[in-house]
Parts: sequence; structure tokens; C-alpha cells
Amino acid sequence: MRTESPSRAPVLLCTALFCFGLPLLLLGNPADNGQPALRVPSDVAWTPETIQLAANGNAFRGSLLARQCGHCHGSEGFSAEPAIPNLAGMDRLSMWKELQDFHSGKRSSPVMQPLAAMLSAQDSADIAAYFSMLPTFPDPQDNRVFPQPVPDPEKSRAAEKLIVFGDGSRGIPPCEACHGPVGYIKGAPSLATQNAGYSLIQLQHFSDGTRMNDINMAMRSIAKQLTEDEKSGVSQYYGAGRGPSTQTPHPATL
Amino acid sequence: MRNKIGFALSIILLGAIILSTRIYEVDLPVWHFFGGGKGLDPATLHLAGEFVESNLGTAREPDGSYTVRMLAQQYLFVPQCIEVPAGVPVRFRTTSADIVHVINVSGTADSLKAIPGTVTEAEFQFPQTGEFDAPCREFCGPGHFAMRAHLRVVPQEKFANLRSDERRDCDAH
Repeated sequence: MRTESPSRAPVLLCTALFCFGLPLLLLGNPADNGQPALRVPSDVAWTPETIQLAANGNAFRGSLLARQCGHCHGSEGFSAEPAIPNLAGMDRLSMWKELQDFHSGKRSSPVMQPLAAMLSAQDSADIAAYFSMLPTFPDPQDNRVFPQPVPDPEKSRAAEKLIVFGDGSRGIPPCEACHGPVGYIKGAPSLATQNAGYSLIQLQHFSDGTRMNDINMAMRSIAKQLTEDEKSGVSQYYGAGRGPSTQTPHPATL
Repeated sequence: MRNKIGFALSIILLGAIILSTRIYEVDLPVWHFFGGGKGLDPATLHLAGEFVESNLGTAREPDGSYTVRMLAQQYLFVPQCIEVPAGVPVRFRTTSADIVHVINVSGTADSLKAIPGTVTEAEFQFPQTGEFDAPCREFCGPGHFAMRAHLRVVPQEKFANLRSDERRDCDAH
């Protein structure tokens, strides 16, 4: 007859403590290492390979993939809704980045996220190549909201000042230093033919933190400092077609 | 003969003095030449490492010292407005996401060069509370003249309950 030895329970207890306690002791509490929780705005990084992929899409293949984009963004890249962005002539890199961010969930949109989830990185590059080649001059047959009325002269002047000179005292750089035509930053969209409603919504989302996919907090820092009047002024100025004309930069110059 | 040795020595001494005042500008290119810097890729700063956006701002280290991590890019310093404690040394660590920028605290000689691919570091002390402008002092492109950070020097007591995993800029109080 075999009896259970009473001395085995403490041994088991010690083994269990050793097995579970030692890793905890060695790894430490991850919240207590003096580092804040990591927040990554976007998975896209402008490495040479990424730029090569994003800038050299196949526009013909893109035109086939982009058939369903036309329902909302317009068959010629000019949408009929003020809140939906115009894509005609859009900069390739910025459009590729936004599609990738919708794909990874870094930028949220109930409509665009499921659509972008189906696209590969190459598909996004092809679609971006197609839309970047669409003409940005007006077509009277096209059902678009694009050039909207110019804002009142006072608002226009203030907007023009921000676009051309920025505001040095608040540290706001001029819009056209990154969005063209004076200078380009990788991932900055062209604004010259953008709908006023869409630009305004994005500026508001950047300032209240709804949209956080700008690399190194560039637009969040700027939009946070703009007043409501300035946001609507700049968007309306661009939305009226008064912005400095922007052309998609050639990939070789990026 | 003795005159010549003295002349050479004084030249070397003068050179050493000049180098020692600009050491933050001199030693890093030398590092680059021999070791390739710290291996920081300016394009991927936001993905991992010291300059991810959640790690930027004023930090209180576990040993009680203060570190400000700041990122320079065309045409912004991030975070654009920072709070620093008065009367204690504050270590500034910076790097650039694109090209060379220099952050200069207006009214003082305090300046720090932000170089892509390397972390530069300097220790500044602000004796009095107040607001300072910190513009970019190195031409960096068409938006350069509007590139400006703000520095708010506040009493040290305001940092008393800052945890070591918290980062502070002007927004958080």
C-alpha cells in the first residue's frame, strides 16, 4: 500500500513559484521601465525602397483597379460631395501613404478602411499612379463641387498670408513650403484642387486628435495652433481654386 | 627655436580652445567618419527608438535629472512648445528627421545642432522663469523663417509629481 508523502507539497509549491516567479523577476514589470507606452503614427517610413515602390505604380493597372473609386471620388477624380476628397492630380507618395494607413488602421474611416484592406502595397501604388495622372483643369460635363465661391476679401487675405508666409511668431510654417509649389515634403498632399469641406474636416481632426497618422506630428502641431477662422479660411481659399497651382512632382526630384 | 615652439604650442592651445567651445559641432562628424554615428535612420524615427512621438517632451529621469527630447524637421520642432524647470540643469537631446537644423534659445548663447543620423546633446540651465522663443538658426528651406519652438521656463515644483514614464509639453498640466 502506497501513501502520499506529505513532504512533496512544499516541494511542488516551491517549483511552481520558481517557474513562474523567476521569469517575472528577470523580465520585470514592463510598465515600470521609465518609458511611456509606444505610439506609432503610421507604419509607413520613407525609405528608398518605399519611395521606389510608391512612386512607380502602373497607371493602366491602376485605372482598372480604380473603377469603384469613381462612385464617390468622381469618375474624373473630382467628387460631387464637399466632404469627399478630390483625387485628380494628387501626389503619388501621399496617396499611397494614406491608402497604406487605411489598410493598417492607422487612419480610420468606416468607408475607406474595408476598401483599403483589400489592396496590396502594389495595388495602392498603381491606383496612386492613375489618379496622379488625371488632369486638374475644369471639365464642364463633370458633376463636381470643386471651384466653390471665394471667401470674403478679409478672410482671403488672412488665408493667403498663412499659405505664402505662415506665421513666424507662432511657429506656423507656410502651407506652400511643404504642399507645393514652393517646396515638397514626402507624404504631403497637393492642395491646389482640394474640396474646401474635406480640407476643413481634416484640419479639425488633426487639431482635436481624431486623425493622428502624420509622421512626427507635423500637421497635428500646426493645426493645433490655427483658429477656427484660419482653418476655414485656408480650406475655402484652396477650395475656390485660388491656391498656388500645384503639379505632381516628378519621382526623380523627390 | 624656443620662440617657434612657443608659437606652435599657443596655436595648438588656441585650436583646442576653439574646438572645445564648438565640441557639439565638431565631434559628431568625426564620429560619423570613423563609426558611422549612432546608426539612427532619419526616415524611421517615428517607428521605434528614442524619438518616437510618445517619448518626446520633458522627462524626469529616475535619478531626478531632467531630459528634453526634441525632434527637428522641415519646418517644425516637435514638440513645438516645451516646459522646462528653472534653476536646474536640463539635458537637451535632439536629432533631425531630414536635414541639419539648429535650435537657438533667443537672448542666450544656448544652441544645439540637430543632425540627421545622430543624437546631439547639450545641457542648458535657465535661471529665471519666463517664455523664450527658440527659432531655427540654420537655413533649412523655404519655411525656415517660420520655424520656431517655444520654451516655457516654469518653477521646478511644477515637475514634482511627474512620473518617469510621463512626458510633458505645454499642453499637459
